[in-house]
Amino acid sequence: MARRPVNPPADGWSLTLPPRLWNDLSRHLFRADGDEHGAVILAGQADGPRGQRLLARELLIARDGEDYVPGETGYRALSPTFVRDAIVRARDEQLAYLAVHCHFGLDNVQFSRVDLASHERGYPTLQQISDQIVGGLVLTPHAVAGDLWLSDGTRAPLAETVIPAGNLRRLRPNPARPTASDPLWDRQARLLGDRGQETLTHLRVAVVGLGGVGSVLVEELARLGAGELVLIDSETVDATNLPRLIAAERGDVDKPKTELAARNAMRANPQIRLVTVPRRVEHPEALRELVQCDWIFLAADSHAARHWVNAAVHEYLIPATQVGVKIPVTGDGEIGQIHTATRLIAPGVGCLWCNQLIDRTELAIEMHPDAEREQARYIPGIPAPSVMPLNTLAASEALTHFLLASASLHEDDDDLGSVIHRPRIRERHLQDARQDSGCRWCTPTGNLGRGANGELAIRHATNMRS
Amino acid sequence: MITLAPAVAEAVEAVRLHFAGHPVEVVTDGAGGVFVTVEEVPVGTAYTSSVTWLGFQISAAYPDADIYPHYTGVLTRADGQPHGPAIQQVPWQNRPAMQISRRSNRRDSGVDNVALKAERIRRWLADQ
Repeated sequence: MARRPVNPPADGWSLTLPPRLWNDLSRHLFRADGDEHGAVILAGQADGPRGQRLLARELLIARDGEDYVPGETGYRALSPTFVRDAIVRARDEQLAYLAVHCHFGLDNVQFSRVDLASHERGYPTLQQISDQIVGGLVLTPHAVAGDLWLSDGTRAPLAETVIPAGNLRRLRPNPARPTASDPLWDRQARLLGDRGQETLTHLRVAVVGLGGVGSVLVEELARLGAGELVLIDSETVDATNLPRLIAAERGDVDKPKTELAARNAMRANPQIRLVTVPRRVEHPEALRELVQCDWIFLAADSHAARHWVNAAVHEYLIPATQVGVKIPVTGDGEIGQIHTATRLIAPGVGCLWCNQLIDRTELAIEMHPDAEREQARYIPGIPAPSVMPLNTLAASEALTHFLLASASLHEDDDDLGSVIHRPRIRERHLQDARQDSGCRWCTPTGNLGRGANGELAIRHATNMRS
Repeated sequence: MITLAPAVAEAVEAVRLHFAGHPVEVVTDGAGGVFVTVEEVPVGTAYTSSVTWLGFQISAAYPDADIYPHYTGVLTRADGQPHGPAIQQVPWQNRPAMQISRRSNRRDSGVDNVALKAERIRRWLADQ
């Protein structure tokens, strides 16, 4: 693997490409023939933590010689028929239209004068037809430049292109300038690099569920130097939680778990920015914060939390890690196969529904109002065992993956396997996500990358209790 | 006036269509879903009253979430026998009710819908 730049998050317009779409695009553009190739990306749109985000939903490959042909003013151009079909789809589906082609080079890229002239000739008309954002991208394997023509008549450069794969890659037109990180982080910056450490300080990370696993995640994220944490949990501290909540004190009983987590994060890193949401994750306030994050840790073991986080991942193309511990104990006290699960939920690469990790009936029960929830459960639930070292094992696996992904240190971009750890038999193995071809969350036939026009956005914009 | 997400609004319409001629009350659950009550639903001669109301929640997670459980008015069996499994008496929406707990384990959200399940529950109850 060629060494490539690590770019911290940039302010401004961004484009996120689901890993599989990026792989398909790379295979099409960066071929051994050394020639130029083209395509169109159709993308949703949403607010993001550092500016507006374009969310790639679908890749339309332009076939050489048929859809990508010799140009009248440049070397190659998309054929009129291909452009017409694509722009009509962009209009009908309310998606941005991004024409894509490749240039030679590796770490740097820019539009040629011929490229920019063709944008000026063609994009005003395309925008009139679609009434959506139109633009052009030019790519090398390590760099992307973009010229966006916005709906209000203005024009903006694309600040970065994000690929949330095994590594959380950020491509810019040119590599970010090196900056020296604060000496405070010296020992970990020796691993992450200054740009890797700087990346952490710009990231906005959500932790959903602040119990045994979540409290460990918050503590470590703060100590690693994550810039901003969004802490979501509707529960208060119970006396039986104290043994497994990091730095909990007797006086914390009955306080919101968000309060305890915020106190710990601030104590670990006084520079950290915190947003606390003492609500269930499906509450509109929680969803609004969730969809503006760079990464989500799901440490709440409810089917409702799984459903809503899963929806946010795929509709807004935000990578997530689900962290859980299962300790099966039968009614007569027999202990089954304990396992911890650290599941990557990469946008567009299978989902919690495809992998049968959400139960439709349990989801229905958990969506009942508090007063009805337990009554609706025909067979009452029994609290599961929970032990701090097992929670820590799962949290540590999740954080290690996140840390390496943020600094682009994983050796394989395409390794999106989840880790199942069985401590009783001292086994650990990887599990790849399965994907149903018609899934309504993680495929382009469903809500993938729909952002502000997707189901989640429509739901949390509807009339709900505040 | 309740503003509903399209999937919930479509589900309510499907219920109204299926139970055409029956009064259907729709009340927001405050979290993006609704509580629905269909009045004067026939449940057959196994009960001392052959019609009752049928209630359920369509949550904000519909169509991914099942519709579960269902509720009816309190019914007494005509043969004097107690109700079987999956039925228990509870209060629901401030009125006495029977809770009917019938899961749809193999539910396909693309095919099944709230009206079909309500009809299955009605028939199941009538057949008890």
